[in-house]
Amino acid sequence: MLALDQVSVVGRDLPRLDAVSLVLHQGERVALLGPSGAGKSTLIAVANGSLRPDRGQVIWPRQRQGRRQRRAIGTLWQDLRLVEELSVQQNVNAGALGRRSLGWALLNLLLPLDTAACRRCLEAAGLDPGLLEQPVSRLSGGQRQRVAIARLLRQEPELLLADEPLASLDPALVDDILQRLLHQTASTVLISLHRPDLVDRFDRVVGLRAGSVCLDAVPAELSPEQLERLYRP
Amino acid sequence: MKLPWPSAPLLCLSPALALVPVLVVVVPALHAGGLATWGDFLLGALRPSLEPAVLNAVLHGLQVTLATALLSWALSVLIGALLALISADVLWLSRGRSPWPGRALRVVLALPRSIHELIWGLLLLQVFGLHPWVAVLAIVIPYSALVARVWRDQLDSLDRRRLIALLQGGAGAHAALLTAMAPVMAPSLFSYGGYRLECALRSATLLGVFGLGGLGTELQLSLQSLRFEEFWTALWPLVLVSVALEQLLRLWRLRRGGADRFVAQRQQLWCGVGLVVTVIGSALWMQQLFPPQMGALPLQWPPLPDRAALIAAAGELSWLSLVGDTLLLTVLAAGLAIGLPPLGLLLWHRGGGTTLQSLIWTALRLLPPPLTLLLLLLANQPSLALAALALGLQNAGVLGRLLLEGLEQQPPERRIAIEATAASPAASWLYGSLSGQSHAYLAYAAYRSDVILRETVVVGLVGGTGLGWALIEALSSFHWAAIALLIAAFAGLTLVGEWLSERQRAHWLVGSSPRGTEVLLQS
Repeated sequence: MLALDQVSVVGRDLPRLDAVSLVLHQGERVALLGPSGAGKSTLIAVANGSLRPDRGQVIWPRQRQGRRQRRAIGTLWQDLRLVEELSVQQNVNAGALGRRSLGWALLNLLLPLDTAACRRCLEAAGLDPGLLEQPVSRLSGGQRQRVAIARLLRQEPELLLADEPLASLDPALVDDILQRLLHQTASTVLISLHRPDLVDRFDRVVGLRAGSVCLDAVPAELSPEQLERLYRP
Repeated sequence: MKLPWPSAPLLCLSPALALVPVLVVVVPALHAGGLATWGDFLLGALRPSLEPAVLNAVLHGLQVTLATALLSWALSVLIGALLALISADVLWLSRGRSPWPGRALRVVLALPRSIHELIWGLLLLQVFGLHPWVAVLAIVIPYSALVARVWRDQLDSLDRRRLIALLQGGAGAHAALLTAMAPVMAPSLFSYGGYRLECALRSATLLGVFGLGGLGTELQLSLQSLRFEEFWTALWPLVLVSVALEQLLRLWRLRRGGADRFVAQRQQLWCGVGLVVTVIGSALWMQQLFPPQMGALPLQWPPLPDRAALIAAAGELSWLSLVGDTLLLTVLAAGLAIGLPPLGLLLWHRGGGTTLQSLIWTALRLLPPPLTLLLLLLANQPSLALAALALGLQNAGVLGRLLLEGLEQQPPERRIAIEATAASPAASWLYGSLSGQSHAYLAYAAYRSDVILRETVVVGLVGGTGLGWALIEALSSFHWAAIALLIAAFAGLTLVGEWLSERQRAHWLVGSSPRGTEVLLQS
C-alpha cells in the first residue's frame, strides 16, 4: 500500500526522523505509539506528502504521483484544520475538492452542493445532518471532530492517516470515534495514539522513539515490558 | 427553499464582477495613439530627466510634501488625541459629571470628518489664498476628527472596572484615568498613529496635484505637458520615500508584535515628546522652505449665501444624476478595489505571482488617483467607468497590501490540509488561505468603501462626474450657494456611508482573529 524507505527528516522545527523504514499493507490497521516528540506527527506528514523528507523516499504502488496519490490518502489532523469561516456542508465538501474543478469549488461557496452525499457522510461520522448549514465555528469540540471525519469520508481515501485523533476527546466519545475511524473511513489505517490500552483494536503496533522505529509487533505478542520501554524517559 | 448566499471568501472575490461593466465601456473607447503615449510614459521610467533645474524643483517639492505630511500628521495626532479624550464618555463619568458635552462634541466633529481633505484644501484656498499652510490645515481638520473618532471609540469600549476601582480608592479623576486607561490604550495609539502617517503622505501628495504645492504639483504639471522624463524624476523619489516609510512601519508593527502588545510608559512618554518635536521641527522646515510668505495669513472670507440663493441653487442642480453618479462611481470603484486583489492571487499565487502583484499594488497605491486618471485619459475618453477604474486601482493597491500582509502572517496549516486532499492549488488557496483572511478583509473592505465614497470627489474633479465635478464647477465660478449645498450633500452621503460601513465592519469582526484589532485600527 505505502512504504517508507530509510526516511530521514532533520534540521527543521519538528521532531526528527532517523532512517525510518515502514511498509503498510493493504487492509492493515496500524497503531503508531510513542512518547511526545518521538516523531509521530512528522512521520504522518511525510507519509501524506505534505512534508518532503531530507533523505529516503515514500513509495506508492503503481508509481502514483502528485494529486492522484494525495487523493488516495486521507489525513485526520490533530488540530483538525477545518475552515472556520465556512459551514459544515462546505467543510465536508472540501473533502471532494481533489475530484472537482475550480468552478465547483467556487459554486460550493455560494450554494449547498451535493447535499445527499454530505448528509450520508455526516451520519456515518455520527453527527446530526441537521447541522449541515451551521458555521463550523459554532460547534463543540466533539462535533468538530466528527465534521473532520465526515470530510475524510467525502474524500473516499484508500489510506487513513490520523494524528492523535483521540487526544482531546471526552472518554465517552473515544470508543465511538475509534470504531468509526477503524472500520468506516478507509481500508488501510494508521493512527497515532497516546493510549497503549487501546492497541488490541489494531492488527499491528509500531513504536517510535527519538525518530526511530523501535517496536513493530502484533498486539497479541506485545509484552507490557516492551510498552514500558517505549515510554521510559 | 433557502436562497443562495455567498460565504465570506466568495464575498471577497465577487466584487471583481465590477470589472465587466467597466471594461465594456473602457475597452471600446481605447485609441491606438494613446497606447504609443503610454509606451513613452513607461520608457520615461528608465530615463528620468537629470537636468539641474528639474532636480532642484523636485528636491524642493519633495521637501514641501514631506514637511506638510509630517507637520499635519503630528498636529492631527496631538489634536485628535485631545479631542478623543474630551469627547469620551469615560472622561466625564470619571469626574462624576454628565457626558453630554462629550457627546455634543462628537456630533460637531462629524462634519469636519465627513469632508475630504481635498474639499477642505480648495475651500481654504479661497479663504487664505495660495499659502503653504493651506495644505497643512486641509489635512489637519479632517484627520484630527478621524483620529478623535477612532480613539474615542476605543477609549469608551475599554473595560471600566479598573478605573472604577481606582476612583473608589480615592484617586483623583485624571490620575485614575491615566493609570487605568493609558497602558491599555497605548498600543492602539501607536498602531493607528503610524498608519495615519502613511495617509498623511498620500494626502500631501494629492493636495499638490490640485495646485497646493509640493511633489504633487510637479507630477501634475509634468504629466499634463507630457514631459514623462520629468514626471519620473519626481515620481521615483516619492516611490522611494513611500516604500521606505511603509517598510519601516511594517517592521515596527512586526517587532511590536501586533496591536495588543504592552507598551512601556517610558516609550509612551518618548512618543509624546517625539510628536511635539516633530511639530516644531517640521514647522521650522516649512518656514525655511517658504521664508517670504510666513507671517499673517491673508484672509478673504467668502460671502455667506442667503436663503433665497440657497433655494435657487438647489433648483439649478440636477441632484438625482449627481448623487446617482457618485454612488455608481463608489460601487464600481469599491468593487474593483475589493475584488481585484483576491482575484489576482486566486489566479496566480505561486512562483513569482505574489511578488509581481505586490509590486503592482505598491505602484498603484503610490500614484494619486487623479494622476492615474490622467494617464488613463491619454488613451481613452473621460467617463464614469474610467474614473471608477482610476479610483478602484489605487484602493486595490491599499487593499492588496493588506491582504498580502494578512496571508503572510497566517500559519499555512489549513492550506496544507486542503492540499493534502489533492485539491488544485487554486482551490487550496481559496479554501485554505483566503478563507482565513476573509472576515478581516471584508471588515477592512467595508471601511475602505467608506473611504472610496469620500474619495469620489477626487476623481470626480478630474473625470467630470458626480458631486465632485459639480463642486469644482461651483468653486471655479465662486457660486457659494451651490458650494454650500454640494458640501452639505457630500457630508450627508459620507455620514450615511460611514454608518453603513461601521455596521458591516462590526458584523465581520465578530469572533474574528486577533488581526481584527489590527484591521479595526487601520480605519
